[in-house]
Amino acid sequence: MNAVDAPVRESVTKKKEKTATPWNVVVFDDPVNIMEYVARVLMRIFGFSREKAEELMLMVHQNGKAVVWSGGREKAEMYVQELHGSQLHATLEKSS
Amino acid sequence: MTVMPTINGGIKLTPESDKDWAVLKAIAFDAHEELAARLGRLMDEESMWEDIVVPDLKTHFSGQLDHVVKAVNEGKEKDEITIPKEEGELWYGALNQARLGLESKYHFGQEEDIEPDELEEEERQGYLRGRFYCTIQTVLMEYVLEI
Repeated sequence: MNAVDAPVRESVTKKKEKTATPWNVVVFDDPVNIMEYVARVLMRIFGFSREKAEELMLMVHQNGKAVVWSGGREKAEMYVQELHGSQLHATLEKSS
Repeated sequence: MTVMPTINGGIKLTPESDKDWAVLKAIAFDAHEELAARLGRLMDEESMWEDIVVPDLKTHFSGQLDHVVKAVNEGKEKDEITIPKEEGELWYGALNQARLGLESKYHFGQEEDIEPDELEEEERQGYLRGRFYCTIQTVLMEYVLEI
């Protein structure tokens, strides 16, 4: 009985760890998209304030990329899809 | 070409020469053909982006270009193009595709690094079209887009 129970507990734990790992939505800088447009897209998709969106937009511009959101994979994919639809270069990466 | 905001919240383009019309017709020509796939390559295989999202993006992007091509052809008959508020995003997207296409082809990089007179003629023409598209985008953003 114990020999059967033990692996099941381990599997559940591993599954929880996997699903709990946050994913980052990363936006990359590019020389085409206008900075004001990038800020507005971030406001529209994520509901950020103008101040927050501009701060992130400047991070993208100055550092070449920035993490703009972290959370579950499914929602992160949805956000990236919207960013791609707005022609911004974006991807997902597992949060370290 | 004159670009003016309209009282209804849109903008009006009034080309003044055949060259102006040629630049507007070049939007679809300049647009990045593989934009959806290129964006998709940023994603990992687990996302199945290529199968699920890229086809939708392709449809979305080609819809923007089709709209602009139609509007330019119709506008040629009236010697002007009116972009109503509700069509601003379609135009902005098509112009962005054209600028991304030019960037992908010529690798201009940051604008301040460019000296147009030092470019080869084809490249210089591409650069100038890109500046022209960007100017229309800026007006769209200031007067038309609600995002």
